[in-house]
Parts: sequence; structure tokens; C-alpha cells
Amino acid sequence: MAVPDTVAAAPSAATPAPAPPSRRRPRGRDAAYWLYLLPGAALFLLVIGAPLVGTGYLSLTRWSGVGDPTFVGFDNYQRLLHDEVFWASFRNTVAMIVAMVVAPTLLGLLLASVLFDVIGRRFKPRTAAALRAAFYLPQVLPVVVAGIVWGWILRPDGAFNSLLDAVGLGALRHDWLGDPDTALPAVMAVMIWVQIGYPVVVFMAALQRVDPELYEAAEVDGANWLHRFRAITLPQIRPETFVVALTCTIAALKVFGPIFALTRGGPENATNVPSYFAYYTFFKKLQVGYGSAISTVLTLIIVVVAGVFIGMQARSERRDRGF
Amino acid sequence: MQRFRRIVAALALAATATTTVAACGGDDSGDDSGAKTLKLWHYEGENSAMGVGWNRAIEIFKAEHPGVEVRFERKAFEQIQQNAGMIINSSEGPDIMEYNKGNATAGLLSSQGLLTDLSGEAEKRGWADKLSPSLQTTARYTDKGVMGSGNWFGVPNYGEYVTVYYNKDLFDRNGVTVPTTMAEMTAAMDTFVSKKITPLGMAGAEYPAGQLFYQLALSKADRTFVDNYQLYKNPVDFTAGPLRYGADTFADWVRKGYVAKDSASLKAEDMGTAFIAGKTPMIVSGSWWYGRFKAEMKANWDTFLFPGNSLNAGSSGNLWVVPTNSKAKSLAYDFIDITLRPEIQDLIGNNGGVPVAGDPARISDPKDRKLIEDFNTVSKQDGLAFYPDWPVPGYYDVLVGGFQGLINGSKSPDQVLDTIAKPYADGVKEITGK
Repeated sequence: MAVPDTVAAAPSAATPAPAPPSRRRPRGRDAAYWLYLLPGAALFLLVIGAPLVGTGYLSLTRWSGVGDPTFVGFDNYQRLLHDEVFWASFRNTVAMIVAMVVAPTLLGLLLASVLFDVIGRRFKPRTAAALRAAFYLPQVLPVVVAGIVWGWILRPDGAFNSLLDAVGLGALRHDWLGDPDTALPAVMAVMIWVQIGYPVVVFMAALQRVDPELYEAAEVDGANWLHRFRAITLPQIRPETFVVALTCTIAALKVFGPIFALTRGGPENATNVPSYFAYYTFFKKLQVGYGSAISTVLTLIIVVVAGVFIGMQARSERRDRGF
Repeated sequence: MQRFRRIVAALALAATATTTVAACGGDDSGDDSGAKTLKLWHYEGENSAMGVGWNRAIEIFKAEHPGVEVRFERKAFEQIQQNAGMIINSSEGPDIMEYNKGNATAGLLSSQGLLTDLSGEAEKRGWADKLSPSLQTTARYTDKGVMGSGNWFGVPNYGEYVTVYYNKDLFDRNGVTVPTTMAEMTAAMDTFVSKKITPLGMAGAEYPAGQLFYQLALSKADRTFVDNYQLYKNPVDFTAGPLRYGADTFADWVRKGYVAKDSASLKAEDMGTAFIAGKTPMIVSGSWWYGRFKAEMKANWDTFLFPGNSLNAGSSGNLWVVPTNSKAKSLAYDFIDITLRPEIQDLIGNNGGVPVAGDPARISDPKDRKLIEDFNTVSKQDGLAFYPDWPVPGYYDVLVGGFQGLINGSKSPDQVLDTIAKPYADGVKEITGK
């Protein structure tokens, strides 16, 4: 529904404030809306709802994937609590959140505002667009391809070690993905490279809608780049920051492809993450019940995290609107 | 309730499985003996030795069964590995298919009554006489699904074993001769190390490390050890004996530079391509590489059996199985029978594969012949000891993790043996209840 533009008269003290518009719509129209939701709801039930319930049920059984599952109550969940690998995989998830949410969001903010504010102004907009595309490229690559290529780069006889040799740092040569101490940082570095383009693109798009007069006014008042960044850029693109943080956090919690392609959770579980652990338990160890329990816990955590984020975003929006 | 559970379970598994099974329509009418269709699935590449052999088998089958349509579908290994239970539990499954050998696969499905007992056919058609005892191990499963004894649930067609591939040019250039004893082997490796060449290619992130460890353990083992380790006949000691020797020697080989310290993150493919590129004098790996090296390697190369071992990692290849739901069982038996005929077995041999019932005299290429002769040597002396990751599901990754620690020096042999002992014990308990 488009709202007709009306020239708002400046309210005078004499005129009472207009009553807020009624939130209630005629009932008949509501029913029509539900009709439009039906196909999506049916698909959701079929593709997400039913498997979710099924996985929840399987998590209460012992099953090898063939024959009849045996109901065991909450045994799998009790076992999870004492499973070292499960906890190790969640510790690694924290590292993944750093690599896929915190670092890319912060770097993305910085890069987006530099591209928009500095490169975009001093050079042609096309230069900024080209750089933005370059940052976004890893997002376009299939993650398994990127993983395999990075695996080649980080191999003992790979490009990275050859580069170290070439610049006289041969002493630093290392089996980056084969050493438990360096495998996780190496995977994190790859994930930052994969993720960085997403916040850059979103934030640059967000900056397009910030009123340039704000920046001009700030400049007239003598604000330098850092002042402008803190006082205008950050508050103006807060909604996008929430969206980026939420989607990246969910991606980090369920990350699977890069781990599968780079390390298979190794060496010695140094890079294991819950979704790979669930896959491995389910398909490789044929402990379908236990694998389902891991998946169910992961799903619950993702739902809770998403709920918290959305709640925070709603609160912040309400604050901005002043009610 | 039971039915509901099954439906929910199937739904969840279907949703979780990453690959979809293409349904192939058609109604197989008629009873077993009068079946007019044979639905056959396997996952061998078109040009692989087995692919070539089985294509010919299909042609012979068609000639001998006029009026019977063979519906062949090539599947992916992973697809069968992950979905076999569901596939053959449905009415859309094949009448005969290639399936993975071992307790966690063929054993599991047989214990659930999903595979046809082939014992009668094996006797009647003489399959039992064609396969040596260690080849039969993977074909027979107990009612608990443990391989090695009980009824026949699968029939292997080809064999595989771990051997040593060596680059003849590098050997000649460095004055090294083919070793026949372990002492000669270590002397040969010392020669390479003294010339700054890492003698043994390795891949810590996949199966090669575990297989080298197992080969070393087998050098101090006998059939009783293999029976205990693979078939759970008696508890296995991880702190002494063959396994201890295997881990200690492996660590020693890393220390001496026989195996590169920075190979923990390498995959088998990396090891193979390095050998093809002529960077590595030797690799200890399986006969499955043979065809690839033959096709891609420019340098002169050959194979020799792991020096001094009478037991070697190896087994039958994957199996022909006949699902319980098969609507054309007698046709399936006929097809299996054809694949074991000399003509097909020789075809597998002449294409770089290892036939289970092949005659080396009928193999034209001398290198192919040697591969098969070596396999026959191992097989005849009951020397196939299966693979180190076989005993329990998921053990593959346990071994990979453990031996990565030995390669990169983050773990001592004691720690590695500890790491791999517990999952083994847990897994055996899960299977046998003991």
C-alpha cells in the first residue's frame, strides 16, 4: 500500500496531535493475506518442519540408519554432556564466530567506509565498484572449490610456504593445516577471506542511502573522517550491521563446507565444528540417534541466538523511533 | 506406533541425506524365475578395470538371456555408502548391486535382513571354490553382521592389497636396488635420506598413514592377531606386541626422515600426484593406484611387496549383493556367475585390476602380471589382513587423527596408542556387546 504524499503542515500548539492510525484492519482482508502464505507454509512444513520433528524424534533413539530405531529417551543428550569432542567443537565455533562475524564485520565497516568515503570521492566511483567486486569474489566461489584451493596454498609444499621462501622467511615454513596449533588459525584466516566481501557489499549499499548533507554538514563543522565515521556512519547503518551480524553468526554456527574441504575437522579435532561432528557421527559412525541429538542441540542454539539478535534489533529500532 | 516410527525415521533420514536417489520407474512384473528385467547398480568408473569387465559381463548376460532387459545405473560411491539402507529397503531398489564390504556396511545390512543369503548359490555354483579363505572373509557375515564366518551375503569380484610402488629411475640414479628384507629397505631409505630425498611419500590427512602403521604392525603379527583385531575373537593389546611395534617404528621412521614431518595435512591424492611427478622414490599404498600410475606416469616405475611381510593390508574388493527385495534373484545369481568366469576375470586383469579368480598366464602386460602374481602370492598364503580402520565404524578418522600426531610430532607413540585404543574398545563393545 503506497501512502499518498501529503505536505505536512507544521503542527501548531493549538492543533491537537492527530490520533495514531488504527492498527486493526478489516477481518476479511486478513484472511486473504493468509491465503498468500499457504504455499510457503506448506513448503516450510515439508522441507523444514517435518525433518525437524523427525530429527528430534531420532535424537531420542539408538539407530544405525537401518532397521527399527530403539527408543532410549535422553541418553544421547546425557552422552553429549560428557563428550569431549562435542565441547571441543563448540569451542571451535567461538573461533568461527570471531572469524566469520566479528573480524569481517569490523573490517567490512572499515573497508566499506574507506571505499565509499575516500576511494569513491578521490577516484572514480568505478574504482570503488571494482574493489568492492574484488572483495566480494570469494563469496561467489563455491565454498568447496575455495577450500580445496586454499588447501593447496597452505600445503607444506604449497604457494604460501614458497612465498615465505621467496621473501627470505624460509625458517617460518610450516605444515599450517597439519599442526593442531596452527590449523585453527589457518582455517580462521581462510574464513575471514571468504566472508569479508559480504559485509563490505551490504555496508556500501547502506552508505548509499545516508543523506550526503549529513556528511557535508559535519565537514563544515570541522569533523574529521574518524568523527564522521563514529557520529554518522555507524548509527546510520546500524540496521544493516544487525542483519550482517545475525546472518554471519548463523553461518558460523552451522559452518560445514570449508571444514569438510580443508581439514575434515582435524588434526586431532583441532578444527572440528558441531555440524561436521554431527555429519561424521551420523554418516561415518552410523550413530544416527547421537548425530541427530547433536543436530538438534545445534538447531536450538541457532534459534535462540537468532531470537536474541532479532529482539535486540527490534529494541534498537524502537529506541531510534523514540517509543 | 512402530509404523509411525519407521515413517518418521525414514523421513528424517531422507531429509538429512545429502544426495537424492533418483527413482527409476517401471513395474517389474512376474515372479522371480520369470523376471524380464534385471536392475543393476554399481559405482565403478566406465574405464576402470571393473567397469570394463562388468560392461562385457552385461553383454554376455544379454546374449544368454534373450528377452531380459538389463537396466544398468551407474551410482556414486558416496551415494551408495550413505543411502544403501534406505534404497534397498524400498521397492525402487536394484535387483543386484555393488556394495561396500565390511561390518559397518554389508554386515549391517545383512544383520537387518536386507540382503539375500547366497550360501546355497555359492556352494552350488562353485563360487566358494574360486575364492581363497581370506577373500571369503568379506563375503560372509554372522547374524550380528560381523564378517569372517556365517552365511554368504556378498560375492567379491576383484581383490586389492597394499604394496610398495617405486620409481625405478630414482632408484637407478641413486644406486638403490629393490629391497627384499626390512634391513635392505631401511638401508635403501637411509641412502635417499643421505641425498636429501625423502624416501617415502606420505599423506597424514587420509588413509596412507594408518596403512603404513598397519603394515609395520603386521610385520610382527600372525593370523591370530588379525583375527583378534578384525574379528574380535580376543581382546587386543594396544600397549605391546604388533601395534606397539607399529607405532614405535612409525615414529622412528618420521624421526629418521623416511617420512616427511610436514606431511600431516596431505591427502592421498597429494601423495599420488607427487609420486606421479617423480618427486618421491616410494609410496606404500594400495593396488587401486595401479591403473592411474600406468596411465599418467612418465618415469619408469614398478611394485614390490612390503619387504619381509607375510601379512599385508588388503582384502577382496567390494561385493555383489542381492537385496532381499530383489525381484529377479535368479537372474542376479546368473550375472554374478558370469563376472567370475575366466573371460571377465582376465579382462579385469588386463585392464590393471586384480581379479580374484584370474590366471596370470593369460595377462599380456608383464607389469599387470606381476601385480596379479603378487596378489595371488599374498592371497594363497592367507596373507590378506584387511585394513586397520575396519573393525569399528568411524575408526578411519580416529586413526587419521592419531597418526597426524605422530607425523607432526605433537604426540608420542604411547599417546597415539592411547588415543586409538579407546574408540576401538568402545566400538567393539557396541558391536559385540562385550
